[in-house]
Amino acid sequence: MQLTRAIDGRRIFRLRNGLKIRLADLSVFIGLLISTFLAAGFALSIGTTEMGPFEAYGALMQGPGNSDASFAIWDVRVPRILMGLMAGWCVALAGAMLQSLSQNPLADPGLLGLSQGSMVTVMVILVFLPAFPQTFLPFAALLGGLAVGAVLITILRGGQADGMAILLMGIAVETILSSVTSILILHSPPAVSQSLGDWMAGSLFRSSWDTLARFAPWFALSFPMILVLGHRLRSLDFGDQMAMALGEAIDWTKPAILIAAVLLTSAAVTAVGPLIFLGVMAPHLANFLAGASGRSRLVLSAMVGGLLVIAADTLTRGFAGEVALPAGLSIVVVGVPLFIITLRLRAFSRMRPR
Amino acid sequence: MTSRLPFIGACCCGLLLALAANLTLGADALPPAEVWAALFDFDETKYEHFVVLYQRLPRALIAIFVGAILACGGAVLQGLTRNPLASPSILGVHAGATLFVVAGVFLFNVALPWQGALAIAGGIFGFASCLFVTRLTGMANDPRGLALILSGAVLSMLYLSIANVLLLSSPSRRNEFLSWIAGNINHVYAERLYDFWWIGLAALAVLFVLARPLTLVVLGRDKAASAGVNVPLVMYLALAAVVISGSAAVAVCGPVGFVGLIVPHIVRPFAGAVFASALPANALLGAAVCLLADLTARTVAAPHILHTGVMMDLIGGVVFAVIVHRRYLTAGARKAV
Repeated sequence: MQLTRAIDGRRIFRLRNGLKIRLADLSVFIGLLISTFLAAGFALSIGTTEMGPFEAYGALMQGPGNSDASFAIWDVRVPRILMGLMAGWCVALAGAMLQSLSQNPLADPGLLGLSQGSMVTVMVILVFLPAFPQTFLPFAALLGGLAVGAVLITILRGGQADGMAILLMGIAVETILSSVTSILILHSPPAVSQSLGDWMAGSLFRSSWDTLARFAPWFALSFPMILVLGHRLRSLDFGDQMAMALGEAIDWTKPAILIAAVLLTSAAVTAVGPLIFLGVMAPHLANFLAGASGRSRLVLSAMVGGLLVIAADTLTRGFAGEVALPAGLSIVVVGVPLFIITLRLRAFSRMRPR
Repeated sequence: MTSRLPFIGACCCGLLLALAANLTLGADALPPAEVWAALFDFDETKYEHFVVLYQRLPRALIAIFVGAILACGGAVLQGLTRNPLASPSILGVHAGATLFVVAGVFLFNVALPWQGALAIAGGIFGFASCLFVTRLTGMANDPRGLALILSGAVLSMLYLSIANVLLLSSPSRRNEFLSWIAGNINHVYAERLYDFWWIGLAALAVLFVLARPLTLVVLGRDKAASAGVNVPLVMYLALAAVVISGSAAVAVCGPVGFVGLIVPHIVRPFAGAVFASALPANALLGAAVCLLADLTARTVAAPHILHTGVMMDLIGGVVFAVIVHRRYLTAGARKAV
């Protein structure tokens, strides 16, 4: 491994097998890693059982035990933080993939209705087929998400649609599906509808080691996805024709990316419910921190996503106190202003003379 | 104008039919004669008369109020912004009013009469913030008005989320507002209708008075000015009337969306762009649509009662998708500047 300069003069690390990492990307990566650890540490010490950061650290080091503190740490907060990290990671990754795929900087699995599609499927199963094994729920969610994706692609085919119009169509699909979920909730028995309501708003509240274990394989799947798809996304960013000229077989790359993105989204939706706006915010913030592309863009976006979920969750827990606020709600409350800022930044970059 | 009269007459008949259906059908259908007797010859020993007078009639009145106001508001907004997707619910009026009412009740314990004032303040806030964000995106001059709709939709999400957060913060009072926030036409809100009906009616009257100059403004601001219309005054008055009446509707039964989007599209082919005939048609048809939606919500899933707002979302979402597809996504759509 050696530190050299690339053609454009930026400093890069060149690994022996030919991989290149920009120094700027690497430093942002390390910075994000540190802030994630800090945020996680902060999140550990906030909650209804009062304890300072050092106490929390002590309880963490002691391992699972019988005391209040260790229960709070090991059975409530650690799973919750890990779940938030992993879910945020997956959704942000899906958002970054969709943005390259549709060449639309505003694409987001939640805004496009993909999460809602997964959610409706899961709800139908929970309401009408209670015996369905939980392990296979993500597959059902995947089918729902893919169905919405297919519908969107059919509707959008043939038109010279631009980004915002696609977004409006996504919002329409989302409205329809969310009213379906409301009707489903009404039809389910009170006990079911209570838990459905929690889950629908995107709650980390239910996370436990069981849900973590069910979600972990999907999270692990995201790493090979980054490795395999990362550099293909970079060629797709240039547009279909350029990607073909660069030797990309877009006939199978594009569906593969869509399936990967929907898979990550539906896994996250099954675990914690929809996290709208995260998929559009995280890549933009990552882009703001370091103008990375390809695999490093994916990794950085995903890290920002995880960090945002923990931060939003911690903030709302700090403010809301006793009330269990669903992460989905807090993400929307944090996300919309950021989304508006994103729109504003786009306006600036349009106005800038080229 | 005369050629529009048959259509307005048809709307009138539609409204009367919808009203009759709404009052007679339901959990147990009553013969029309019984309903008539309940309305004009009330017998306090009869259970059916109580059902009609204290449950179905208030619901019907609320539906008429909300439908008429939102449909007219949608028609005026669609004309002024030249955008087929504009309506009070999409441009942030509903979400803003909802947020202010919920915040007022949960944080400051505001009494019922003042909730109307809060709703109006919230409606104005929601609409103004929607325009502000549109300006921020730098695409306010896009003739297709995409940015306007997008910022309205996104801000509505934000405001409704904050309102939901507030709801969650106080479980004891949550139930009281849980169905209100979903947009629900329900007889328990008759008290609210009694408090706020005059606001909506006054605003509606302003719109009707402005019908002629508004038509000219929609045809072209320069032309209207040369015809002697005070364009800014008319526009501001009309927008204020739309926002205030929309907020009053929210104050009564929560955000019932999409009436203002759908009805003007049904009316336009028949009544044209002349507000003097389009507004009455919108009001009548909007009321009829709301009555039918209420009836469907009551009967389709019996013994459960659906929320009217949810019903409207389901239908309205489809219409929204169709309009987006037609206007923005087909090959003939105008390109952005």
